[in-house]
Amino acid sequence: MDLGIDADELNTCVQCGLCLSACPTFRVTGDETRSPRGRIALMRHVQLRDAPLTPEIVQSFETCVQCRGCEPACPSGVQYGRLIEQTRTTLARTHRSTPRWLRLAYIPLARPRLLRAGSVAIAVAQRLHLVPTRLGLSVRIPLRQQPIPASGSDVYLFTGCVMDAWQRDVHLATQRVIEAAGFGVTPTLAQAPCCGALHAHAGLTDHTRRMAHKMMAALRPDMPILVDSAGCAAAMKDYGHLLGTPEAGAFSARVFDVQQWLAQHIDRFPKVAPLDLRVAVLDPCHLRHVQKVHLDTRVVLRPFVRELVELDDDGLCCGAGGAYSALEPALAGQIRARKVGSIDRARPDVVASANPGCSMHLGAAGVPTLHPMQLIAQALPGRRPLD
Amino acid sequence: MKLRRHSGRAHDGGPDAALVADLQAAIGRDRVRNDSAERALLSRDASVFDDGVAGPICFPGSTAHVQAVVRIAVRHGRAVVPRGAGTGLAGGAIPLGAPVVVSLTRMNRILEIDHDARVVWVEPGVVNLDLTKHLQPLGFHFAPDPSSQQVCTLGGNLANNSGGPHCLAYGITNTHIIAAEVVLPDGEVAMLGGLDAEPLGYDLRGAFVGGEGTLGIATRIAARITPTAPAVRTLLMSFADVRDAANTVSAVIAAGIVPAAMEVMDQRITRAVEHYVHAGYPTDAAAVLLAEVDGLHDGVDIDAQAIAAIGREQGATEVRLARDDNERMLLWKGRKTAFGAIAQIAPDYYLHDTVVPRAKLAEVLAQTYDIAERHGVIVMNVFHAGDGNLHPLLIFDAREPGVLERVHAAGAEIVKASLAAGGVLSGEHGIGVEKQAYMTLLFTDDDLDHQNRLRKSFDPDCRANPGKVLPSGHSCADIQLLTAVPQGMWV
Repeated sequence: MDLGIDADELNTCVQCGLCLSACPTFRVTGDETRSPRGRIALMRHVQLRDAPLTPEIVQSFETCVQCRGCEPACPSGVQYGRLIEQTRTTLARTHRSTPRWLRLAYIPLARPRLLRAGSVAIAVAQRLHLVPTRLGLSVRIPLRQQPIPASGSDVYLFTGCVMDAWQRDVHLATQRVIEAAGFGVTPTLAQAPCCGALHAHAGLTDHTRRMAHKMMAALRPDMPILVDSAGCAAAMKDYGHLLGTPEAGAFSARVFDVQQWLAQHIDRFPKVAPLDLRVAVLDPCHLRHVQKVHLDTRVVLRPFVRELVELDDDGLCCGAGGAYSALEPALAGQIRARKVGSIDRARPDVVASANPGCSMHLGAAGVPTLHPMQLIAQALPGRRPLD
Repeated sequence: MKLRRHSGRAHDGGPDAALVADLQAAIGRDRVRNDSAERALLSRDASVFDDGVAGPICFPGSTAHVQAVVRIAVRHGRAVVPRGAGTGLAGGAIPLGAPVVVSLTRMNRILEIDHDARVVWVEPGVVNLDLTKHLQPLGFHFAPDPSSQQVCTLGGNLANNSGGPHCLAYGITNTHIIAAEVVLPDGEVAMLGGLDAEPLGYDLRGAFVGGEGTLGIATRIAARITPTAPAVRTLLMSFADVRDAANTVSAVIAAGIVPAAMEVMDQRITRAVEHYVHAGYPTDAAAVLLAEVDGLHDGVDIDAQAIAAIGREQGATEVRLARDDNERMLLWKGRKTAFGAIAQIAPDYYLHDTVVPRAKLAEVLAQTYDIAERHGVIVMNVFHAGDGNLHPLLIFDAREPGVLERVHAAGAEIVKASLAAGGVLSGEHGIGVEKQAYMTLLFTDDDLDHQNRLRKSFDPDCRANPGKVLPSGHSCADIQLLTAVPQGMWV
């Protein structure tokens, strides 16, 4: 079966195995079918040798977190992300994966009112203790959303879908921090309801393309777009490749992770007393392995906290992976256990993660996790106490 | 509504139902896999050999599990092949004739650090670099550092008696394994070696290390831990001719200096790795020599200066000292990922692992380039120069018709040239299936016969990784004992 993968791209892997330790699913299973090398070999079996696409092979592809930790580990420069994304797209198109109920679940993401209604329903259920804890929903979804008014038009703040519905407090903190650096902020809100990252993960790249077109048409072409979710920024920075047009390329070039942007303007912040906290930096995979701007988080955070500590696991994924923690809870839990071990050894007061999915996934394991922007907002004058 | 994916669909259980049922009953359902995907993947390692066929795959979690698996395999008349990370380059983990594959990746606990004996007890699936990182805060490390150390396992290191750049000063794996609990090919458990300085009797531990899985499976390993030196200096020297680099290596050793490591890369390799790591390797030099000394602060400076002076005498065009740990780590990352990085040039590679006397390095190197040119293939040289361990990489695109024959012919000539210079077949990758055929070039019939007797004293029925190391004429006729490829395999 033709998976639609470029033959040359598929051939760059020499099967050396140097990726194995960088793969979270191989780390917890020790199983080649859960490794990048194994998955690429299976892609080859299916596409080049016409091996039948067995349920086990589909599972091998579906269990990939798509963290892309294998890419920096690969001396051959294999673009694993492209390979797995193309594979997942073909699987979804031919209905071998991403079943209908799952596709339905992705619909509200691009429809803010539907998403809001659903979120209120979950919020009510949470207050009636009707949401089982095993679902790992660690955020308390607000019943009523706080307003997030625009303060100027120097930069956009991309607010997105689930994050805006469930964690608008993070956006509010981000907005305060950007403002403290002297920039007026326009939240994107309903103009650009979703980036399509979760869809692309599930192989629904056509949906992602539609959302990319919609967002590019809606936003002014002269404003930088700041993003406080690592997964969303990574997806938006990929629009250039996804759509293959110069306009999309130019759009992607205007997308910045908020820490990446602020690191360039760090001297604009007022001098403040740092928070008396020992903070461990957790690098979201799509910040570290995909956008490769994770060091900026440290630059931005360092003046505002007493102590920054590094984790000792070389940026291994935490298992959140967008919707992965909900779709593959067993593996996601094992992967998280490794991360929690690393966090325990670092003995932080709090963990800073620039991706909402990671925060929720770790929060469900009882790890106190805040967005770097929340910590900085705390340290800035006129702060409001964290709840 | 169907919420559970795959439910009700028939799984591809694969052949060997009775064997699989016994294995699952003994060690648990989730520890045995037998579908065609798993079998296909575990038929390969990092070598070029693709004619392996795996039987059922087991993921034991304890010595008792391994013992149960081995006994069941024996009962079913099947062989057993152990596997670590599958990064071997000689095909040592390639299963021949659908044996039971024992993947030790889940036995990955660091069990106990014994400070008095300076020993750490580990399970075989512990990753080499993980162990070193675990020991780092205590001021120790595990000295053998194969280039694949970020993924390769202690069990695999033991089986191949692995080397690594820093084995020049610290010795190869055999020096660092002082005891091992092993499951013998009949399922019996034995402890080989011990923590005492002089264990009684023959050194069976010494025989077992480097056995490539043909003598049994190690399930607990006592590894020596090495204090980490307080100071390190890393020199990068550029040369206009690869022979000058080789001669520098000989001259350094002759001067009485024993560096921690001395590694040479030729221009093609250097360009490929620099493109990946951006460590500042000079891409215009014909060869670079990476030399590292460690020890006390004052001593390392003296040694580094002495090495630099020798390099200049031998014609080094540039001598550079790594400024800080960061640059040092980048330089080493480049060296250690060299094999993978060549994929930027061609998708396939085949390499040898011969060792030649240091004084013959320059001569044999020149021959490798001649041989490759005559066969119309590209050779790239990267090697553990300090101990004369060559790694000539023949790179090619397997999709090109006829290229594999040329590559094998060139490889054979390179091996013969190394042996003619007084060298040996393998420095560290093992014999596996790759170098079996060359064993007769190095050993007499008598030699091989005695090696086979040693092997048969551990494994009289040829159940342990059959078809490896000893050439078939000198081994028990093991391949004939193996079950034919089962029905239903698609690889």
